[in-house]
Order: sequence, then C-alpha cells, then structure tokens
Amino acid sequence: MSLEEFKDRNIGTQNYRMLDLGESPKSGMEKFKQVVERSVKLELFTGLKVTFREMYKALFKKNMHTVKYPFEKMPIAPRYRAIHQMKRLLESGHYRCIGCGLCEKICIANCIRIDTRYDENQRKEVSEYTINFGRCIFCGYCAEVCPELAIVHGGRYETSSEQRASFSTLEDMLTPLEQLAEQSEFPGFGAISPNADENVKKTPLAY
Amino acid sequence: MSRNEITITIDGVECRTYEGEYVLNAARANGIFIPAICYLTRCSPTLACRLCLVEADGKRAYACNTKAKDGMQIVTQSEEIMEERRAIMEVYDVNHPLQCGVCDQHGECELQNYTLELEVDSQRFAIADTKRETKNWSSVLHYDAGLCIVCERCVTVCKDMIGDSALKTGPRGGAAVDKSYKQSAPKDAYAMWNKLQKSIIVPSNGTEYTNCSDCGECTAVCPVGALTERDFVYKANPWELREVPATCTHCSSGCQIFYETRFDSIDNTEEKIFRVKNEWNYVSLCGAGRFAYDFENRDVKRDATALKAAVEAIKGADTIRFGSMVSNEEALMLQRLKEKFGMKLYNPEARAFQKFLDAYAHASGHSLYPNDFREIMRECDFVISVGSKLRNDNPNARYVFNNIQKINKGAGFYFHPVGDRLVPTFGRSVECFEHRPGDEEAALYLILDLFADRKKLPKGVLNYLDTFHEKRKKTVKEKVMKEVVEKLLDKETGEEKEVKKKVPQMVEKEIEYEHNLLVERLGGDAENFDEIFAKMMKKKESFALIAGEDLFFHPHYENIAKLIALIEKSCSMKVVMTPPKSNSLGVALICELDDECEGYTIGYNAPGDFRLSALGDGDLDMPAMNQQEGTFVTMNKQVVPTNAALEYGGYELNDIMNELGMGRELTIEWTQELPVEKGFQCVKFDEMPNYYLNDGTEKRGYRLATIKRRASRSNPKKLDDSIVISEGDIAYRCNPPRQFSDFTDKAHQIFEKFALRASPERAQELGERVEVLFDGASIVLDVEADDRMSGDIVEIPDFKSGEDVISLFGESRYSKVTIKRV
Amino acid sequence: MDGYIIGTIIKAILVLAIISALAGFGTYIERKVLAFMQRRYGPMHVGPYGLLQIAADGIKLFTKEDFIPSGANRLIFMFAPIITAATAFIALAAVPLLPEFKLFGMTVRAIVADLNIGILFILGMMAAGLYGPLLAGMAQRNKWGLIGAARTAVQFLSYEVVTGLSMLAPIMIVGSLSLIDFNNYQSGGMGEWLIWKQPLAFILFLIAGFAETNRTPFDLLEHEAEIVAGYATEYSGMRWGMFFIGEYANMITIGFIAAIVFLGGFNSWGFLPGGLAIVLKVSLFFFLMLWVRASWPHVRPDQMMWLCWKVLMPLAVINVTLTGLWMMV
Ligand code: SF4
Ligand code: SF4
Ligand code: SF4
Ligand code: SF4
Ligand code: SF4
Ligand code: FES
Repeated sequence: MSLEEFKDRNIGTQNYRMLDLGESPKSGMEKFKQVVERSVKLELFTGLKVTFREMYKALFKKNMHTVKYPFEKMPIAPRYRAIHQMKRLLESGHYRCIGCGLCEKICIANCIRIDTRYDENQRKEVSEYTINFGRCIFCGYCAEVCPELAIVHGGRYETSSEQRASFSTLEDMLTPLEQLAEQSEFPGFGAISPNADENVKKTPLAY
Repeated sequence: MSRNEITITIDGVECRTYEGEYVLNAARANGIFIPAICYLTRCSPTLACRLCLVEADGKRAYACNTKAKDGMQIVTQSEEIMEERRAIMEVYDVNHPLQCGVCDQHGECELQNYTLELEVDSQRFAIADTKRETKNWSSVLHYDAGLCIVCERCVTVCKDMIGDSALKTGPRGGAAVDKSYKQSAPKDAYAMWNKLQKSIIVPSNGTEYTNCSDCGECTAVCPVGALTERDFVYKANPWELREVPATCTHCSSGCQIFYETRFDSIDNTEEKIFRVKNEWNYVSLCGAGRFAYDFENRDVKRDATALKAAVEAIKGADTIRFGSMVSNEEALMLQRLKEKFGMKLYNPEARAFQKFLDAYAHASGHSLYPNDFREIMRECDFVISVGSKLRNDNPNARYVFNNIQKINKGAGFYFHPVGDRLVPTFGRSVECFEHRPGDEEAALYLILDLFADRKKLPKGVLNYLDTFHEKRKKTVKEKVMKEVVEKLLDKETGEEKEVKKKVPQMVEKEIEYEHNLLVERLGGDAENFDEIFAKMMKKKESFALIAGEDLFFHPHYENIAKLIALIEKSCSMKVVMTPPKSNSLGVALICELDDECEGYTIGYNAPGDFRLSALGDGDLDMPAMNQQEGTFVTMNKQVVPTNAALEYGGYELNDIMNELGMGRELTIEWTQELPVEKGFQCVKFDEMPNYYLNDGTEKRGYRLATIKRRASRSNPKKLDDSIVISEGDIAYRCNPPRQFSDFTDKAHQIFEKFALRASPERAQELGERVEVLFDGASIVLDVEADDRMSGDIVEIPDFKSGEDVISLFGESRYSKVTIKRV
Repeated sequence: MDGYIIGTIIKAILVLAIISALAGFGTYIERKVLAFMQRRYGPMHVGPYGLLQIAADGIKLFTKEDFIPSGANRLIFMFAPIITAATAFIALAAVPLLPEFKLFGMTVRAIVADLNIGILFILGMMAAGLYGPLLAGMAQRNKWGLIGAARTAVQFLSYEVVTGLSMLAPIMIVGSLSLIDFNNYQSGGMGEWLIWKQPLAFILFLIAGFAETNRTPFDLLEHEAEIVAGYATEYSGMRWGMFFIGEYANMITIGFIAAIVFLGGFNSWGFLPGGLAIVLKVSLFFFLMLWVRASWPHVRPDQMMWLCWKVLMPLAVINVTLTGLWMMV
C-alpha cells in the first residue's frame, strides 16, 4: 500500500465523503415509521454487536489500546513542544543565547524574561533567563524566532513538580557541560518523526 | 530672516514651504519621504551620508542642503538615485558587525531600516576590516567604534545645538578602498566609502575623554548603536520599553521627553525607568533631562497617621514653603489652602520672578514677555544674553544662543560677571562682557544705546545715553610683514635649526574714535568696540534679548523691568526671559506669594517644621513628578502636560485637600480650574496633546494668553554705583550644569557634587575645603575646579534645598563673602 | 416465633451485607466490562486485577468530606440518600433470592419476608425510592439538582405505569402476587417460563427496568453532559455512595424480578441447580445493563416520555387486554 496519500497533509485535497444520512422525519407518522423500521431491523443490536466484538478482541486476542504509562512510554515526535532547553555552542561550551530578546518579544504568554548586562569583556552577558512555565502555552514561537538556535523545545513533558521554577532558569535549561557531546539540534517546527511511516495507519471507519 | 511662502513641486506634488527652507524639510513637512541619515533638523547639513540625493530642476542635488526656490521641481526617485542610495547602504554594511541581536539600537536602528527600505539583499563591496575600540568617553558616554557609520550626527549636534563641540572625526587607520571600485561603484557611494574608511569619531580635545557637558544628546541622535548611554548598554532591548510621553520638569525649559520603562529585572518586577528619549529633531535635552530620571519616590505606602498629621499641621501652619518642582495643579491647591486658612506661601525664586513680572507688566503694559525661545532660535541672528549664566542656568537658553551663532550665522553679546570659557567658542561673533555684579542696568542701557530707534526713546533717556559718549584718541596698529630668522629645536633629533619666517609687525598710528563709557564700564574693549560691533552687525536683521535670573534677583529689579520694557518698545528686539526654576512661571501666575517665611512652616520639597516630601525623607511622602500627572508652564509660555511613568502607592496633595473637604476626585481635575484671568485656559488635562508634527510644529498643551493693561510712562532711573559690587570675594548662587534640585541630585547618573566651584586658578588658591562667611551665617564646602570658568567669582550651588543656600544670598544672586580655608 | 424473628434479623443483615458488597463489586464489574468493550484495561493496579479498587473506593468514599451546601435544606439533604438506599434494600426483603436449602439441619428459605403481595410490595418500595433523588435534588439549592429532581419525578412516575402494566399480565396468568408462587408456576422446566407466554411483557418490563434504575439509555437524572450530576451534584463522600449503592441494589432487584417472573426463577435448569441458575440469570441481566451502557447513547427527555406514553404504555395495555381475552377464551 502506498503511503503517498497519507503523507500529503494538505487538507484541502483530501477526498471527503458525505455520509448518506437521508432526511430526518418530520411528521408524527414518519417518526412512527422510523421507529418501527428501526425496531424491526434491530439496528440497536448492531451497537451491541460492535461492543461485544471489541470486548472479545480485548479479552481473547489481547488487542488493547491502552499504553501502560508510566511503565510504558510512547516515543514522542521530535517536533513535540515540551519543556524548553537552552543549547550551548559545541566548540566552546558557552551558551548560545545572545540576549537579543526576540523570544521575549514574540512570546504570546509573555512569560520569558531575560536579564542582561555589560560584562567585563565588553560583551552582552545573559545573567539570567527564565520562563514562567505556569504561563507558557508551549506554542513554540520562541524556538522558532531564536536566531541562534539557542532556545528549543526538549522532550521533557512530565512537568509536575513541587516548584515549576525548578526547571525554568537558565541553569536548568542549559545542556549540562558533560553532556555537550550528546547535544542534538532541534529539528524544529514541522519536522516529522523518524518513524512517521510506521505510525501512519488507515483510520478505522468500518461503520 | 524672511519667511516668504513659496511653492515647490516634489514628485509631482505641490508643496507649500518657505523660501530658503531646505528641500528635505519641505518634503518632510508635506509628508514626503526622502531617505536621509546625516541631516539633523535645526543643525547644519554635513553631507556625510549623501542618501538624500534628489534631482532638483534636472540636476543632482542633496535635499538636505538645497534651499527651496519658488517653482522648483524635485524628483526624489529615479533609477540612478535608487542605485546610488542602494550602493551607499551597501557601503555602510561593509564590515558592519552582524550583531544586531545584542545591539542596543536593534529595532530602532536607521542602518537596519534603510538597509531594508533600500532593498539591499547582496553585497558587492569588500575591504579588510580594521579593529576599532570600544571606549567610554565620559561618565555617561559609551562609544562602540565598530558600529559607527560616521554619519557625524553626534559631531553636528554637539557643535550646532549643544555648543560644546566636544567631538570630531579622527583617523580610523582603515585600508584604502580598492581603486577598481571606482568603476563599479556609483560616484557618491565611492566617495563616501573613501571617507568612511578614513574616519571614526574622537573627542575633539585630543584626549580619550570628552570632558563635555554630558548632555547625552549625541547618544540620542546616533542612528545606530555606536554611541549609547553607558548605563543603558546591554541592559534592555528598546522594544521592551514602554514609552511614556512626558515633560521634563527639572528646569523651566519643560522639554518634551519620553520616559522608557520596563520591569526592573527578573527578581524585581517593579516598573523602572530605563532611559529618557526625546524627539531630537525638535527638542534638545540637557544632561539632567536625559540622565536624571530616577528621582521617583520609591516604595511608598499609604500612611494614614502621617496623612492625619499633615492635615493637622496644615490647619495650624503659618507658612507653606515649597520648591519650584510643583505642577500647576499643586500650586493651585496651595493657593486654595492659603485662601482658606490664610497662611503664607513662600517660594523665593518664584516670588522674585513674580515681582519682576509685575514690574515688567506695569512698565510694558502686558503681563508676559512677548516672544518665545523657539521663535528666536528660528528667526533671530543677533542674540543678547543679560543676567544668565548661560552654561549653568537654563540649558535651552544656551542652546538657542549657540544655535543662532551656528545656524543663523548670528552674533551675540553675553553679559555676565562670571567669566566663561565656553560661551566665546559658540561663534566668532560672540562678544563677552565680564561686568561687575550688580551692573546689569548698564548692559541694558548699552543695548538701548546700540539698538534703539532714537526717535522712540524718551528725551530723558536719550540725554542720559549721550553722557556716555566721548571723543577720544587711540593708537591703532597696522600690520606689516617682515622677514626674521628663528632658531628652532627639532624635537626628534635634538638639533637646532634655523628657519626663515615672515612675521607680521605692527606699526602704530593715532586716530580719533568715539569712546563708549558704557562699554568701558562693562569691561569691554571700548577702544575697538566700534569696529567689532560694526562687524557683528553685518547682515543682521532680527534681534533678541534673553533676560536671565540675575535680573529678577537684582536690587533694582523694577528699574530693570522698565529698561526691558523700553528696549522692547524702542529696539524692535524680541524679548524672552528664563524663569528661574522648574515651574516658577506657573507658580508666579497661580499663587499669591509672600516675601517671608515665618512661624510654623510646612515644607513641601523644601525645609520646614513639617515636611511633605517627594524625596522620601519627609513626614508625609508625596509623589515625585515622574509619578504624577499634571501641567507645567514652560519658558515658552506653553502650558504642557506630563504623565506618570511610574506607580506611586502613597498620598498626594489632592488627598490632603480631600481630607480638608476641598479636594477633587483626581488631581488633574484641577487643570481646568487654573486661573483664566492669568492667561490660563479652561482645558481638560486629557485633552492636552503632547507631541510634535513632522514639520516641527509643537503640539503641546496650549499657549498662555498675555493679559494687556495700561503701561506706565515713568522713565528708568539712572545707574547707581552703590549696588555694584566691585571688590572683595564674591560668591554667585549658581548650580553646576545638570544639577537643578534635590531631584537631579538623587539620580544615579548625575555626579556633580554640592561644592563650591571656581576657575582652576582660583580653586588652586582656595585649597580643598573652605568656609564661606555671609552676613551672619556661613557654609562649609569642598572646592571644585571648573575648567570652563574664569575670573575670581566663586559659584555656590543651591540645589540642595536642605542647605537653604537661597536664604544665605537673600534678594540677590551675588553676595560679598569672606572665604576661609578650612 | 422467637426463632422466626432471629432468623429474619439474621437474614436481613445477611442480605444487606451481601447485596451491598455485591453493589460494590458491581461497580468493579461495570468498570471492567466497559473497559474491555473499549479495549482498555479498567482498574488493574490495586490488588490482583484491580480487585481491591472497590476497597480503595470505599475508603475514599468514607473519608471524603461530607459536604453540605450553605443554602441547602440540611435535614432533607442529609436524609435523601438514606431513602434511596433504604427503599432499595427494603424492596429486596420480599424477593426470594435462592431456593430453599438446609443449613445445620434447618430448612432455610432465602427470603426475608414471603409476603403474599410480594410483587406489589417490591413495586411500591421501588416507587417510594423516587423520593430519594427527588428530595435530594430539591434540597440542595442547585439548579442542576433541581432539574435532576424534576426529571426524577417525571421519569420514575411515568415508567412506574409501564412496569405495573407489564407485570399485570403475568400476574393475571399466575394469579398470585407472591414471587414464590411465580417461581413455582414455572417449575416445569424451560418450556414453562413465562417469557414464552408473555414476550411483550418481558420486553416492556426490561425497558421500564432500565428507566426505573436510571441506567443508560435512560440515565437522565444525572446526565453529566447536560446537568452536571443532576440530583447528585452537591453530594460527596458516603452520602453520594448511598445513592450509588441504592442504584446498584435496584439493578440487582430488577434482575431478580425479571429472572423470577419471566425466566423460571430459582428452579433448577437442566443440570444446573436452582441456586446457580438464578445467580446466572441475574448476572445476565446485570451484564445486559452494562453492555447497553457501553453501546447505546442517551435519549433525550422528550424522546423518553414519548416512548413511555405513546409506545410502551399502549403496548402494555394491549398486552393486558389480549391476555385477559386469551384467559377468558
Ligand atoms: S531569541 Fe534566542 S538568542 Fe535571542 S534572547 Fe531568546 S534565546 Fe537568546
Ligand atoms: S513556547 Fe510560546 S508561550 Fe512558551 S515561552 Fe515560548 S513563546 Fe512563550
Ligand atoms: S547598529 Fe544597527 S545594524 Fe548595527 S548591529 Fe546595531 S542594530 Fe544592527
Ligand atoms: S557615533 Fe553615531 S552619530 Fe556619531 S558618527 Fe557614529 S554613527 Fe554617527
Ligand atoms: S554629551 Fe553632549 S556635550 Fe558631550 S559630546 Fe555628547 S552632545 Fe556633546
Ligand atoms: S542627509 Fe543629506 S547628505 Fe546626509
């Protein structure tokens, strides 16, 4: 089966099909007829049949939908927008952020704040960088606008903690120096997951 | 200078403008866009950028220095012009660091804007880069030569507007432009590039430091991030800042400014002012306006007990003494308090000005001086300043004086007892008279003598003036060139060399001339005055007199007012005055002030027994002027609004009024109650505009009306030597530039100290610390040398209200004192 | 006589304990069945197969804050859940749950009180149960509660009629109101089951049973998509739990009645002994209720009323008439 058709996510060219539902009954007589018709055809039992079939699959074929989170975790797509990360320069290990403030400006939730200062080397130092994750809507604009690929979204989506602040400062978000070698680039908006082909399935529309 | 209306055609659009106006300004006034970087309105064109290239009647011309002629045809865009402009922008972009992200101009940078506007999408030119250093030129100036595009705007504004001429172009040491570009690059771009490769900006005194007035105007005009305020460097991005249109309230200029605020930092989310911006094409700020912005009264909570105490204190007060940094609304509230409780209102500066204005109105028949500073800056080419310490008193009076010299090719007289080394550098035709303190009347008589239409002068005055003229003989010297041999020491080799030189030699000759005793009396060069004056008067059409604070604090202020009225009537001279402090004019009009301060005193930003203070040190906190709304009267007689830039959590004067049952819901509801009979209008605060139009028209509040009355006809009195101070130590009440009051002092970027200031020579004599003895009082001060002062008079500042220096001096700005080293 | 009283008390306590335990277990079953029908796991972490989830829920219900809204009528608010739970269990008193058996040499009849008007009593008790949701909804000063109460009144009263009429025909045939008699009437094996004689009555009773027990597709009283939780909106903790137990007890009651009246009761069925047979039958009904819930959507209130008065009630009347005619012939 070719997946071409499914990879094309341009909604406008998909072939939608209208279901032939017919007119709904208007007069009392029509309604009565509909009821009789449906009762005679035992349409209701089709529903019972479907649920029973699914139960059969679940019980005897172990065909379950449930992902047993948190024991079992689905791989997330690389473009998934979870808690941010700040990247470092690969050569020097210095943080990439130049304090340009574009992310701060574009942030829809107005939750980024940056403190900068003029440092001893006559450079702009980012003395602190925070995201208020109580407000962030994970829209990804900050990552999109950053000219330095400094702020990106990471894969950390489990964000419950006693203090949101505990992962929202520059230090928390920066790649730890010892993991610099493993630092990977954010493929960015619109990137599809490496296993995208496997994930594409025909939507079951049997009934 | 004539202002004839003419019509020119720009890109097929008919535009009304004035003869002699630059095409660029005409276009701007008519809403037509011509790219231009280096030109500053009100300053001379420098032709540094050449972006404003247009076709005027078919010929290439630069819009910023082409004067409009009737019927002129201007084309602003053609293929050739666009190619030139694009190439120029490309040249600007050569080796310009790609660091917009960190740059402090990012987002409001003209280099960015024009690069986009002129669609530069590729780069044809290249050259080896030169290392250019980043420097701090002064306590407030930060220069990043790497970003500088050498548009020379900073140089121009400093020379033409500020008058310090503290900057110039210096050698860059860059590589020479490859000759091959001569063919490929358009003409102007190539020429500009050649120049660009050769220059950067350096302090003009040859040192690493500008040693200037620290006004910061150069940072404002810089189109890129090259010249910035040191304090602001890399602190915030321009677009994060909230712009609050306001009025600077430090002095009576009342410049329009924008406070730019933002949360302080991640840890402290309180709103803070980060810097002050201005419409630098139409207003020029001084160092106080630009840097003294953080004088707010921070962390104030409503303290009901203190409010109660204040209300009680006011009920029992004999006097309310207040500083001049009050809005008209507050002044009106104080006046209402006086009307209800009958206490005295005491504000010595405004009182002196009020008395002077009364005397002036009595003599001239109108309540206010007839002209304003904007007008004389635009139109006059001969300006006279009497009684103003131009460099210290009112910055805008000084800018006007300087600008007239530079732009209107003007001339000027500067009458002042305290010698100044800067004012003479404003222009070649500036004549300074270091007269004796108290002799200002003589200066005014001299003006009458020189400028008055003799037919309009009363007989008595005419005769009196004649007594100052004598025929005398003088020897003049004539130049003759003569050859001499001179021995010179070659510094490098240490050898002596003989050099032949032509040296002018003088030959003496005796001639008769008219000796003017007034000139002599005022310390001028009476012998050569005729020639000097004749030269100054060449091609001069429009004259102006700036009357300064010394005149209001003169023992003979009534006579001086008469003389000014007479000058106005007989000399076809525009007359303006500089109100002594921030809102002295408004206070003088609104309040019935008293001459003395006695009994239980409420001090509002002033000394007193119960103190209302916006400085955070009083018994009840008040909002500072950047925390409250209100109106001010500027020296241009304009009633202008200012907005609150920062939050204020405490009580304001209106709350006290409310406690007393006399308040309004909001302070600004007092605005429409300002006294119409004094020239105010019944205008609501919220209806007052505060901006400039593209052609520089000021849309700020409204103009005070001048009230007419019958003029008295008594002649001015003759000169009286008894009030002239001619020997002994003399102290002059005068603040250092950038310091006006406790509020400027509070700001963290104003460093001028509360100290006695003297010329370097005098300071040397005085040592480090002195005690200055007045009649019955004394003050101990550090001594600071001001290398722009000359002469022996020392300056004692009055900006700390707590020191109450103004009372030491009493009714005059000069005082005989004894100075002792301690 | 004393033995009779003691026996009855023991029986009552046993019924109460077992049925409430079963009600709790019912919730577990319901969640499991619904989960499987959607190919999920359902509760699975507390205890083996999630069995102890019931205990966990029980603890939760008991320890939750007993919340009474400030504007509520406190007394009625507190009393209403008890009505629901109590009537549900009282109704069970007249239901023979199992065949007679011998324990310690005594013959035990698995019925708390064999009334000669058993069916009438049960129907009456279940009808009285409507006061629970009705009062709860009205007492809590909550608009959703009020709507829930209104729906309670309408729905229960209407379907009462259908239940009664559908039962009338079997009663006419058996000629007794005692459930024991019903059971005995069908003791002749599967062929004698009343369902064969009264199929229409059976269907009508079933439909009415769904409505009486407030189950999908007729769970309009607390239809969460429309009225939050209806009459139970403001309830929490054990008070809410009592509504829940009442509902499940009612489900079991309906299951028993259907099994006894139409499906041969606790007579042994083929090789199956009577006790097992009736448990099986009741379970079947219980499962049916869950199955239906998993499959069918809710109906609208107007549709439900239309169904009751315009379809079911006439059919029931016709059925009674036909039965009467048939008996006369
Ligand atoms: S956009 Fe990127 S470089 Fe700029 S401040 Fe944000 S994170 Fe730093
Ligand atoms: S993801 Fe969106 S909301 Fe969150 S910090 Fe970035 S720009 Fe702001
Ligand atoms: S001066 Fe302008 S172009 Fe240059 S780095 Fe700054 S913002 Fe960018
Ligand atoms: S410092 Fe700024 S204003 Fe001065 S020449 Fe350079 S770019 Fe122009
Ligand atoms: S701060 Fe003012 S005086 Fe100093 S160099 Fe700049 S413009 Fe000139
Ligand atoms: S603006 Fe005319 S040359 Fe620069």
